[in-house]
Amino acid sequence: MKMALPRGLTLVLALALAAPPARAQETAPPSGALSEAVQKELGAVQDLLARATAEFEGPQQSRSIVQFDEIVTRLEVLHRQGTLPTRGREILSTAYELRARAYYNIGLQEKAADSFRSLVQLNPQYSVSKEKVSPKVVDYFNSVKKALVGYLAVSSSPAGAKVSLNGDFLSLTDFFPLEVLAGEYTVEIAREGYRTETRTISIAPKATETLQVELTRTLASAFVVTEPAGVEIWLDGQLRTTTSGTPGPELLEMVRGKGLDPGRASGRTELGNLSLGSHNLEFRKKCYETVKRQIEVPEARDYETDGIKLQDSVGSLQLRSEPPGGRIFLDGEPMGITPKDLDAVCSGKHRIEVKHTSGKFIQDVVVGKDESLTLDCPIRPSLAYLGVVAESAAGERVAPDVEEKLIENLQKMATLNFVPAPRETVDRVLESEKLTRKALLPGGSAEPDLVKKVTEKLAASLEVQGFLIALLPGEKLQRTAVLHLLAAGNTVPDTWDVSFGESASYMRFLSAVDRKATLYRPWTGLITVDSAMFEGVPVLRVVPGSPAAQAGVQPAEVLAAVDGKAVKQTSDLLAAVEGKKAKEKLGLQFKGAGGAARAVDVTLAETPQEIPLNDPSLLYNKVMMDLRQQVEGYPGTETAAFARLNLAICAMHFGDFAAAHEHLLKARTELPARPGLSQGTALYYLGLALERLGYKKEAVDAYRAAAGFKDATLFNNDGPSVAPLAARRGGN
Amino acid sequence: MILRRTLLLVLLLPSLAAAQNSPEDQARGLLEDGRTYRKEGKLKQALDNFQTIVSGFPNTSFVDDALLEIGRYYLEVDHDVAKAREAFEQVTKRFPQSDGAPGAYYYLGRLTMERAAAPTDIDDALAQFARVQRLYPRSEWVPRALYATGLAHRKSGRLAEAAEAARRVALEHPSSDAAPAAQFELAQDLALAGEFRQAMEEFQQVRNRYPESEWSPVALDRITALYRLYGAGKPAFALDAAYSVGAGDTLKDVRGILMTPARTLWVASDKVKSAIPFAPDGKMGPGLGGEDLQSLSLAPNGDLLVTAARAVRLGPKNLQTFAIPGSKPGETEPLEKLEAVVVTPAGSVLVADEKKKKVFRFDGKLQYQAPFPDAKERQVSRLVLDGEGGIVMLDRDERTVHVVDEAGKPLRIIATRGPGYELRKPVDVAVDSFRNIYIADEEGGVLIFSPPGQLLATLGGADVRKARAVTVDPAGAVLVYDDKVQRILRFK
Repeated sequence: MKMALPRGLTLVLALALAAPPARAQETAPPSGALSEAVQKELGAVQDLLARATAEFEGPQQSRSIVQFDEIVTRLEVLHRQGTLPTRGREILSTAYELRARAYYNIGLQEKAADSFRSLVQLNPQYSVSKEKVSPKVVDYFNSVKKALVGYLAVSSSPAGAKVSLNGDFLSLTDFFPLEVLAGEYTVEIAREGYRTETRTISIAPKATETLQVELTRTLASAFVVTEPAGVEIWLDGQLRTTTSGTPGPELLEMVRGKGLDPGRASGRTELGNLSLGSHNLEFRKKCYETVKRQIEVPEARDYETDGIKLQDSVGSLQLRSEPPGGRIFLDGEPMGITPKDLDAVCSGKHRIEVKHTSGKFIQDVVVGKDESLTLDCPIRPSLAYLGVVAESAAGERVAPDVEEKLIENLQKMATLNFVPAPRETVDRVLESEKLTRKALLPGGSAEPDLVKKVTEKLAASLEVQGFLIALLPGEKLQRTAVLHLLAAGNTVPDTWDVSFGESASYMRFLSAVDRKATLYRPWTGLITVDSAMFEGVPVLRVVPGSPAAQAGVQPAEVLAAVDGKAVKQTSDLLAAVEGKKAKEKLGLQFKGAGGAARAVDVTLAETPQEIPLNDPSLLYNKVMMDLRQQVEGYPGTETAAFARLNLAICAMHFGDFAAAHEHLLKARTELPARPGLSQGTALYYLGLALERLGYKKEAVDAYRAAAGFKDATLFNNDGPSVAPLAARRGGN
Repeated sequence: MILRRTLLLVLLLPSLAAAQNSPEDQARGLLEDGRTYRKEGKLKQALDNFQTIVSGFPNTSFVDDALLEIGRYYLEVDHDVAKAREAFEQVTKRFPQSDGAPGAYYYLGRLTMERAAAPTDIDDALAQFARVQRLYPRSEWVPRALYATGLAHRKSGRLAEAAEAARRVALEHPSSDAAPAAQFELAQDLALAGEFRQAMEEFQQVRNRYPESEWSPVALDRITALYRLYGAGKPAFALDAAYSVGAGDTLKDVRGILMTPARTLWVASDKVKSAIPFAPDGKMGPGLGGEDLQSLSLAPNGDLLVTAARAVRLGPKNLQTFAIPGSKPGETEPLEKLEAVVVTPAGSVLVADEKKKKVFRFDGKLQYQAPFPDAKERQVSRLVLDGEGGIVMLDRDERTVHVVDEAGKPLRIIATRGPGYELRKPVDVAVDSFRNIYIADEEGGVLIFSPPGQLLATLGGADVRKARAVTVDPAGAVLVYDDKVQRILRFK
């Protein structure tokens, strides 16, 4: 709607249009507050206006009057209720104008005048378009309007104050005369930081009233420039504003004068509405040191602050993981692969995640300014908790309590990340295969291959390596839960009963979970036997290439002492070795045939160790998770090869000879060909697996190949020789 | 007692009162109590409990366990094989899917194996053990069945298969209750197969892995014995100058000496007309009197056999004479010049009579059977078991040692002379845990032979002047009675 104003008031117009609606009457409610009913009514009235306008423009213009009447009636209801929004006002204004014109056109000028009067009262600044409306109507409208409106002009010092008439916002100062309805008004002139001024005026039709107001400042402002930009300004503990932009050309000198670099500095930012007195300012930005200042505001005026320069506050992180090759996430952002050095890490608290196919590491760290922090990130397999399954209605009732207790206690696991799995994700994966949680448990309906497939899918989806499900058996007294621990891709879980109300029973389970199978131990290669014939223990044999062999120990020598302590039986020697680590030295004292003593130092090596095939105290699924970490974390190494051998043994423990076969095929090429646990060992077990799978001929071939490795052993590097066992099985 | 215990249980666990009343719970209680009684040695009460379960709670899930326990009682306490077998067969027929079924198959196999008289019996036993492994692969009875498989193979002389089975227990079930015995068995099989170094290592594994088991000290003895013979390249024996045993006239006119597994040394002295025990600390115990003592031996069940000319003391209270059919039907002729007696693993009694110049076999009820191994005349002065089913016979006149099996089939022979030796006047024979044979020769000292008959060592010279009797202790030390100095010498 074009407003017909004198040319000289263009600036005012611009300001007015830039400001919220410049009206003397009530303001429209914010659109967000429109009720559904009002919106609906508005929609209906809008439709009606369209029809009425079409009627108005048609041959029977007078027919539109009834429609305009309805529009007016309906919108006036809202108007009186104070719920008429801006759009509604526009519709109402249009309806009044068109009704007036319709009346005028049929000669009912009084009625036209009424409509025009209503229009002007609704919107005193309304004007009728000269281009679209006949000059007579325009003149008629203007004449009605002139009888109703006067003019008001307000200026203030400083300008930019809000002017309200009887509480309704009109415009911002300074403005040229605006049309207002004649009448008595209380004029309020308000500007933030200044005392509000009030005047009472009376505006007569056609008269112009002018107000000039001096505003009295009540609050101060401070102007701040920071380097860099984007600095949060906190006043007395509250965030007030953030510096932004760049200094304009007129400020460059001033910025330099403040000791700041204009290329990095912010624009001049106002911190307004400062009450008188003392204030604490903090200037904060991530990766910068916070600057604190105090500002004294004795009077209400503008204050120019010194330039605020923030210093970098960064440190560095050196991240190492075992195994290496983990994806680093710093506060959720990917940052590369371990091992990695991260420079320019903002000081402060950060969350570090290192994700590996075999597990993850999560830790919150605090990096200090200029601090170089080295962090070892041991990767731990993750165990997803899938929930509680109850076998009876009684179990269903206690399931939520049980779940709470389980999670509370099981989160204390030290060697696994315990992760309650998102129910929706688990449900989605299970439902896609038409399975339930119960189907994953022994005795469930699912085929082993499907369980394997689903657990692998779940593991990929949840980024975990194993699962835990609690089963509440259908017993009368609901006291126990059976925990089922299942490695991803495995089909037979380990089970453990807990009395879910007793912390002690969880402790036993946690001890079992946190127990790490011994995969390596210190080693000498010295085989002694106990004999009642000697004070010490005679050497029966020395493993070729072993530390004892390298130290020149010979069979039949009698070991009398280790590190100065007398040896009475072989277990004394074994205990002494167990108490040391690889590369440490062990002092051996031998007694010769004629009583002569001989001392030898042996530098310990390490022997890999097989997992026992059936050890009731081991949770084999957990062992598998640990072993997979070794295989995936150290590919191509002996560590991975021995881990694979042990994975085969774990598979055999579960009777999964097909899986054992897969592991052994890889292990046999990856293992070393030297005395001890080696390729011959893998071939022997391969023969066992093939035999159990029913491939007799292939088994014999494997045994015969194993028999060719004369120095291969079982259990560990000191264990029984593979060759004779394999030769017998291979039919040699 | 059962009722009181049940009532006590109800009073102590009020929260379980409702559950306690069910037949299942009562049967469970009876079973648990019965097993406790068995551990405490209250065997009759234990049997009562188990029989109550079978008769009083026939529909509960514990009947199979009860029948198993009943079978064990008949087998191990009453030695009633028929009743034991019946109980086990009930389990396998009525409850083939139960937890007790594999145990029943295991015991049936053991029954068959321990009374095996023919190779087919051993095969039957093996089949029972194989059934346990095949049908109940996750049962706790599998390692026991595997261990028993090894024993069966060993009984048949199949040492490689025996070692294999024992190895499987050690490899696949290292934490089972059968594992220590199986590890020991593996070592023993290797020793018997002549793989002495490996045997020593495996015996050592018994001590390393199961130091608290009953097999650990026995393993030490075996290692010591093996190491003495094979550890340092050649056997190493030295006279134990500090050794001294005997008191008064006990060491006069000694006819035989015998060391038991518990290290009690029995000395049969015709001077004091007694067989006298000496404890490991040298303390003398009460003797067993006998006129004209001839020899000592041990029955498979550990009973001492004291042979006198006219009778044999079979254990402390059982004095037995023997007679064979006379020349006329219905007549019997007493054996009056007994020299040696042995009880075989199958329960037969073999009696060597000097006058008849034969060895005669009597059955378990001491009924005469036939000459052994055949009707040929021979002057067998000593009979010893070799621990592996072999019967060692010292032929004094032929100056040979024959080893035959229970059926009389010859297994080995130590001839009068061979490389490095000649038997001049053999008077006694002993066997160690590895079937090595120790021959006391009055003129040659003590000669030690390997099972195939190879001379390993000779203890003699100035140390042994007139060897009259010989025995071997569990750790392989040799004890010799020297009639010249009337002392028992120990070579360690």
